[in-house]
Amino acid sequence: MGLKSRQPKKPTPLPRARRKSKFQADLAPAEDRMVRGLKRELQLNSNTDFLSDAVALFRWAVGERKRGYRIFSEATTGERKELVLPRLERVAPELELPRVEISWTPRELESLAELASKEPAPPTEALIRAMRG
Amino acid sequence: MAVLIRRLEEPDQVELFDCGDEPLNNYLRRHAWTNQQKSSIGVTYVAVDEGAPRTVLGYFTLATASVPRAAFPKKHVRGLPPYDLPLILLARLAVDHRFSGKGLGHALISEAFKIALRVADDVGCRGIIADAYRDRIDWYARYGFVALEGCAPSGPERLFLDIRTVRMALKQA
Repeated sequence: MGLKSRQPKKPTPLPRARRKSKFQADLAPAEDRMVRGLKRELQLNSNTDFLSDAVALFRWAVGERKRGYRIFSEATTGERKELVLPRLERVAPELELPRVEISWTPRELESLAELASKEPAPPTEALIRAMRG
Repeated sequence: MAVLIRRLEEPDQVELFDCGDEPLNNYLRRHAWTNQQKSSIGVTYVAVDEGAPRTVLGYFTLATASVPRAAFPKKHVRGLPPYDLPLILLARLAVDHRFSGKGLGHALISEAFKIALRVADDVGCRGIIADAYRDRIDWYARYGFVALEGCAPSGPERLFLDIRTVRMALKQA
C-alpha cells in the first residue's frame, strides 16, 4: 500500500461576518488624554474594550432616540439634564400624529364627559408593568 | 426573539401578516402605508424581530382627535377643562396569530402608551380611545380601559383610558 503524501492544509479563512476589522483613529492630544482618563476611570485595559463599550452605549442611545424617547440624567434632587446631540436628532422620528374625526353617539359623549371629568382611576398592575422598561 | 417596535416603512413585508381577522389584515396590507404617508390619517407602528427586520409580527395605529366642548351635554361640561377635549385614538392593534401568546400584544400596547404620553407632553391629550372587538374588551380592561356607554349594539365597543392614569402608572413603574 503506497503512502499518500498530504498537502499542507491552508488555514480556512474566517467567514466575512466573523472577521475582525481594525479600527484606527487620529485623536487630538486633548481627546487622547480624555480616552486615557476614561479608560483609567472605567478600568479598561485595552482600546478594544473601550471601543466596544462606547459602541454599545452609542447603539443604545441611537435605539432610544429612534423610538422617539428622550435621554435624561436625573440628580437625586430631581433635577434633570437632557442629552441633546445633533447627530442623534437625525434618527428621531417625527412626533406628530395625524388628526381624525371620530363620530360619537350622544350617549357615548355623555359617558366620555362623565369619565373625563372624574378623578382618574388608579393604574392597574398590567398598566404599571406596561410602563416599565 | 428580540422585538423592535418602530414606524411602518414602505419596504416592510405586510402581505403575509395574518392575525386571523380579515379587516385588520387588510388594513395593514392595503391601507396602513397610504394612510400614514399620503392621507395622513393614522401612523402605524410595527413589531419586528431584529433577526428578520422586515417581517411584521404585529402592529397598532394611532391618530389624534378631539371633541369640541360644545358637543358635550351641558350637565357634564362643568367638570371638564374649558377647551375641546384632546384625545389619542388607538385605532387598531393586532398580532400575527403565529406569534400570539408571546407577549407581543403587551409590548405593542406598552409602546402605544409611551407614545401617547409623549404626545400628551408635547401637544396635550386627556385620554386614549380604543375601538375594541367585544371579545377583546377584557384584555383592554386589564390596562384600565373602561367601556363607554351608548355604543352601537353591533360592531366594536368604544373604550376610554384617562391619560392621568397612564402618567400615574409611569411614576409607579
